[in-house]
Amino acid sequence: MTTQVKSAVAMVGAALLGALLLVQLPAAQGAAPPTPLFWLATSAQALLAVQSVRSLAAFNRPRWMGTLTAALFGLWLLYFWQLLVVAFQVPRVLLPPPVMILQSMLEHWPTLWRDFTQTVLKAVVLGWVLGSALGFGVALAIDRQPFLQRGLLPLASLTSTIPLVAVAPIAVMWFGFEWPSKAAVVVLMTFFPMLVSTLAGLQASGKLERELMHSYAATYGGTLLALRLPVALPFMFGALKINASLALIGAIVAEFFGSPTSGLGFRISTEASRMNMPLVWGAIVVAAVTGSLAYTLLLRLERRFAFWHPSVREAVGT
Amino acid sequence: MTRSSKLTHGLLAAVLVVCGATAQAADKVTVQLKWLPQAQFAGYYVAQSKGYYKAEGLDVTIKPGGPDVAPAQVIAGNGADVVVDWMPSALASREAGVPLVNIAQVFNQSGLMLTCKKASGVASPKDFKGKTLGVWYGGNEYPFLNWMTKLGYKTDSDIKILKQGFNVDPLLQNQAACISTMIYNEYWQVVDAGVKESDLITFFYEKEGVATLEDGLYVMEAKLKDPAFVARMGKFLKATLKGWNDAVKNPEEAAKLVVAADASGSATLKVQKRQMENVAKLITNAGTPKVGYLEPAAYERTVKVLLAGGSSPVIKKDPGKAAYTHAVWEAASKK
Repeated sequence: MTTQVKSAVAMVGAALLGALLLVQLPAAQGAAPPTPLFWLATSAQALLAVQSVRSLAAFNRPRWMGTLTAALFGLWLLYFWQLLVVAFQVPRVLLPPPVMILQSMLEHWPTLWRDFTQTVLKAVVLGWVLGSALGFGVALAIDRQPFLQRGLLPLASLTSTIPLVAVAPIAVMWFGFEWPSKAAVVVLMTFFPMLVSTLAGLQASGKLERELMHSYAATYGGTLLALRLPVALPFMFGALKINASLALIGAIVAEFFGSPTSGLGFRISTEASRMNMPLVWGAIVVAAVTGSLAYTLLLRLERRFAFWHPSVREAVGT
Repeated sequence: MTRSSKLTHGLLAAVLVVCGATAQAADKVTVQLKWLPQAQFAGYYVAQSKGYYKAEGLDVTIKPGGPDVAPAQVIAGNGADVVVDWMPSALASREAGVPLVNIAQVFNQSGLMLTCKKASGVASPKDFKGKTLGVWYGGNEYPFLNWMTKLGYKTDSDIKILKQGFNVDPLLQNQAACISTMIYNEYWQVVDAGVKESDLITFFYEKEGVATLEDGLYVMEAKLKDPAFVARMGKFLKATLKGWNDAVKNPEEAAKLVVAADASGSATLKVQKRQMENVAKLITNAGTPKVGYLEPAAYERTVKVLLAGGSSPVIKKDPGKAAYTHAVWEAASKK
């Protein structure tokens, strides 16, 4: 092993050992008020933690090193959250410690799974697919018939300015309390980003390439499939990634305004009123993990389908 | 003027200025209401408009509530000194780590009802099976869940529950067979929307034997250890109960003051007067020395109802006498 690897392993090991020793202090377990020794030890541990992350971040080569560095950083955040919340004896209703949140998640796993199915698998996914497809379709229509650009585009831009909290109650009145109204809100939120990005992508193909297609006597459809859509792919993926987070936010907020008794938004608002903060945070964790996974999935798909684009390609020389 | 009389006048002026300055410093009290400004909270608005709080030396800020404002959450985050809340929510919050204590029980009757359209096929509680019922959450769901358990219905299979917002649309649009209503508010919203009273069937929680105590005043337990706080709350309660007595005696005047205090402009005189008249029916102690007193027997009844939740009771342990105090009420009725 090279010296760099050896020193990184030593650094991380020392940090982890220090973390284990720090929790032994009575102040860290909430048994006594924080002493100066506790603060000294915590500051030293914070320095160790920072150094351990830096030592890992220095590595470029194995691709999974980036994931490991991020995981270690996240671990330190959770560790210090737990430590400080317990040491300061922060009331559970204001900020629960991570361990309590995890316990609550494990205890209420069936409920959270049902909420996830109701919100994500029904409202978010369907709304996202429909909204993005609609945006894509209208963009193609505008591209085909330029007069639509002047008429339809300004109207479409209005959809992006309507506040979510105004649309949600109206959607509930029109489509009922169940998930269709939440999907409708998501469609409204995801329509415009996809429309604008697809339009920008369709116009991104170079003049030389389009002239080449013309010289091949390619039809409109042929040019679209062979040249313009592939060039538009990076733009479309960008919109899809944005839409993934917008869809999740939209569905959760729409549930605040009337819902059946399941769903992540319903869970967050109801359990917050019941002072059951660990479960509120549990639902937030589920939503956050879902958002991250969706983003990662889209990133993978982009790497697969738009691998040739400079923004996705690895830089030359690494 | 002689020199000594100038000195006397000067000293007198200084003393008056100091007295004046300290007299200006009124005690601040923030009260968080449970819902939007309406006659349900007339007592507080009357007391403020008629200067009862000022007469007690208090500078009171009334914070209106709303559909997503949970009073227990507000007081847990130090957003208010005293909140108006329902007892089931307060006791459940107590168990969840927010130690609320009842200092006064303003409404001694329950106004909660379940209103159904006869056309949906509901004629008695037996007909709830398979129907969609609207329930408010945010602390108001406990009496309903309790009643369903008493009737033997499982909330995820036998009946469908809708989280109601702040309007009565689910009933009007037939999205629910029944919705939760208050006798002083939502019931009349349904009637105002054009539904004939003969087309509706209403179940009173009081008559079904599952009523729990509603609007009362709650503070955090730790603050009651401070005698100055107890004295301040005593003054606040005295002025508030005076306001409530006035409101019950003169609903029209109370309605006018509520409409004037509503910043959103959505409260109208006719609706608020009707609401005040119905709220007055729930404060049977108004005008008597017992107004605002929490009867231990009524408290025990509510606790019993909440504990009898079967497999999912609203509260798991009897909170005992720690969840209420008469100290503030006695301080209010003393002076």
